Amino acid sequence: MSNKPTHKTSSGELAGFVRLNEGIKGVVLIAFQINIMALNAILLAHRAGEVALGFGVISKELRSLSVELTALMQELSNDAYLAVNLISDLLRQERRYRLLKKATDLVANPSPALRDVMVRREEEFSLITQRVREVRLRLLDRLEDARKLCQFGTAISRSAKIEAAYGREYGRALAEVSQEFDQKIQNILPSIEALCTGMQRR
Amino acid sequence: MKTAQTIYQEGSHRWVVIARDPSKPDCVIDTNEYLISREGDNLLTDPGGSEIFPAVFAALSTIVDPMAIRYLFASHQDPDIISSLGLWLECNPDIRCYVSRLWSTFIPHFGGDENSLAAIPDEGMSMSLGSGQIEYVPAHFLHSSGNFHLYDPDARILFSGDVGAAMTPPEEDELFVRDFDKHIRHAEGFHRRWMGSTEAKLDWCERASRMKIDMLCPQHGSIYQGDDVMRFINWFAELPVGLSTFRHRR
Ligand SMILES: [Fe+2]
Ligand SMILES: [Fe+2]
Repeated sequence: MSNKPTHKTSSGELAGFVRLNEGIKGVVLIAFQINIMALNAILLAHRAGEVALGFGVISKELRSLSVELTALMQELSNDAYLAVNLISDLLRQERRYRLLKKATDLVANPSPALRDVMVRREEEFSLITQRVREVRLRLLDRLEDARKLCQFGTAISRSAKIEAAYGREYGRALAEVSQEFDQKIQNILPSIEALCTGMQRR
Repeated sequence: MKTAQTIYQEGSHRWVVIARDPSKPDCVIDTNEYLISREGDNLLTDPGGSEIFPAVFAALSTIVDPMAIRYLFASHQDPDIISSLGLWLECNPDIRCYVSRLWSTFIPHFGGDENSLAAIPDEGMSMSLGSGQIEYVPAHFLHSSGNFHLYDPDARILFSGDVGAAMTPPEEDELFVRDFDKHIRHAEGFHRRWMGSTEAKLDWCERASRMKIDMLCPQHGSIYQGDDVMRFINWFAELPVGLSTFRHRR
């Protein structure tokens, strides 16, 4: 059977998903900061009036982007939680499997009933392994969505910089805000990339 | 590898001890498991920790089909007693484990549920095994607060859990006590430290002295037989135990 329980793989995987959860927390924090920043930018654009109309639109986009990103991270976090649960179960099963296997190996003539127990163990193990695989694929899809969202964010934060140039007496303030947007988005991208490679490595 | 050795047999009624595991990891305490078989009914006492499950299972298989074990008895809740429960249930989901009512909601941490656990009331109970009866005898606070021994009146054997246990050095590690005075030295420290209540101890000694016991079978160390049984009961009755003997203050 190809899916014989191996303790080493599962505990490695467990660590991977726990790290993922930590990474997600980092992204959620930045998304929150973008949200607040965008809210302030919307108010600033409102004060600036006519000259910052475009800037206001972009700020609203950035704000909904941060909301979307937070929701996406919540889904990722739910899946990571599910994966951690599944893998903990797998680890427990692996230990049981190891001890039952040892017992079977020590018995001179294992009865068919005992062999059945081992077959059931292996089947159950394959089933959970399969579920972990599915969760990981779903996680990777969502991480890909997050990456696209951030790329879109990068593009519009650049547009914000251009819009700031038309801000006349507000130009300087708007430029500062757009610079910060850009930095925050640039901070998120590597985190998302790291999460993706962390997951793909397995 | 543990070995199985018959210590009593009368027709199909027999007691088998699974003992002495030189291959067990040093960090795990060695334990005795006893199989009581009668007309195809099989009960295993204090089946042991999960790490020694393979050795117990394999040794049992030389005597009976381990998958045919129907009852387990856990004298108390310790991991060296019953943490293998989940593995036994894996082999036979219909297995019933008898344990003090105190632990019936704690032991499922090792596996099993209300269907696999049968709660023994504080006053004890008897149960039929094959054509005979066995008794769950109260031994509370020795050392666990919900603690039972198992008495087989036909075989005149008392399985006494941690009572009578000894930590013998490998060179003196015999199945039966041969030199009581020499042996009991290895039991003294254990009983002083583990048995916390003089009242409980005297209560048990009084009860045990009224029972007809040919063999007193502990979960660790050698088996007492013949006159050594009464010698042990008297020794235990005299032994100071409890907090007053416990030098923990610096
Ligand atoms: Fe104990
Ligand atoms: Fe013990």
